Amino acid sequence: MRLTAILSMAAKAAFPKDYRYGTSRPWTIAAKRLNPPGKKRRKMFIEPIAYEDWSVFKGDTVEILSGKDKGKQGKVAQVFRHRNWVILDGLNTHFRYIGKTADYRGTYIASEAPLLIRDISLVDPTDRKPTEVEWRFTEEGEKVRVSLRTGRIVPKPVFQRRDGIVPQQWKDGPKDTSPEETLEKTYTPSLKTLEEEVMEKLGIEEPRRNRKTY
Amino acid sequence: MAATSVGRVLTLCRQFQNAFRISTSLAVQQSALTLTKSQSYLDRLTYPLLSSNWHCHVGQCRPLHTTISRRGLEEFFDIPENWGEPTVKSGAPWTAKQLRTKSNEDLHKLWYVLLKEKNMLLTIEQESKRQRIQMPSPERLKKIERSMKRLDTVVKEREDALRLLQTGQERARPGAWRKDIFGRVYWYRFREHALPWYMNKRYKRKRFYTPLFVTPHIRLRLEKHLRAKTRIQNKEREKQTVLQEKFPQMKAQSS
Repeated sequence: MRLTAILSMAAKAAFPKDYRYGTSRPWTIAAKRLNPPGKKRRKMFIEPIAYEDWSVFKGDTVEILSGKDKGKQGKVAQVFRHRNWVILDGLNTHFRYIGKTADYRGTYIASEAPLLIRDISLVDPTDRKPTEVEWRFTEEGEKVRVSLRTGRIVPKPVFQRRDGIVPQQWKDGPKDTSPEETLEKTYTPSLKTLEEEVMEKLGIEEPRRNRKTY
Repeated sequence: MAATSVGRVLTLCRQFQNAFRISTSLAVQQSALTLTKSQSYLDRLTYPLLSSNWHCHVGQCRPLHTTISRRGLEEFFDIPENWGEPTVKSGAPWTAKQLRTKSNEDLHKLWYVLLKEKNMLLTIEQESKRQRIQMPSPERLKKIERSMKRLDTVVKEREDALRLLQTGQERARPGAWRKDIFGRVYWYRFREHALPWYMNKRYKRKRFYTPLFVTPHIRLRLEKHLRAKTRIQNKEREKQTVLQEKFPQMKAQSS
């Protein structure tokens, strides 16, 4: 048991306390260049937002409130909760060259810069204007985002899984259990341990008893 | 409420799990068994077994395998349809909630099904390492591991409940609070020995008491610990004040 705990500890990625997160994933070369092992940078303060209060999700339509593309609306492509960042599709861009080699100048592309949550506001679906949003409970008990200006519910964007599976269109493979079989209840509570029950079912009789240990 | 939840689950998504389902292609390899396509893995044990793998114990003669699909060493490899595919689709892992509805016998069978699937995937992983190509769909291994972990959790829960009910013991393995030579109190978990402790030379070398020359250092260690704790608390308080002045619209204390 202890060995598995140690192994799981090693499997989880460990970051130092003052690790500076960027837009690249921590295992990429760019992130490793940003955070070499011995670096010490000035401490950065990010506004702590509780998990329950987070209102912006990937796929939402938001409007930019300040910056270069002020007043424009766009779809959220990526969300970075550890730095309160949001990257929109094609907005707040700067230009750079990628794929540069010794003789080739590289491709000139537009890359988006992250925006802080404070400079973003969710858009009301009815009048398509930016609003403040609050989390409230419906009569069914569902937690929804409600815009404070009009009182209308802002629906959550459809979550697309990373593996591209759409649950409604799933067809079981040869090794998958069907939903009916999975939900079938076969458990009857009894005063037998799993070992005793299985031994009964298989007809194993174990008359030997353990030797006394200290 | 239960009906709506079941309906919602069925309509929301078909729950995907990894379990062996007997397909008609295997019927050819079976000796005298007739299979139908709708056969579920649950009914495997009830079939009469005409296997040649009998393993005679003293007084009991029972078969080594109780499965119907007995492909031998081929079970270490995937089904032929998946050979050479860059991705193999697989369903979602079993959740603990689904596993809690299953009987102990079903869980026992499912464990071995998952184990065999895991062995198959590990073989594929090793073979792809040997051939220096990417393993097709490595997330299947993770799903299997998670399913097995959850199964283990469910079995432990049932065992704990039974033990608490019958004996009142909270832990399966006996132990005691003991002091080591450094003066630290810890939960010592008992091991099984063949000899009593007073005859066990190695055990007696362990010393579950603190010698006198160690006692002054216990106080120093405590002071160090308290100093470190206060330091952390002060740092946290400073951080909160700085955050409050930087972000005045911050809602509440985050700790």
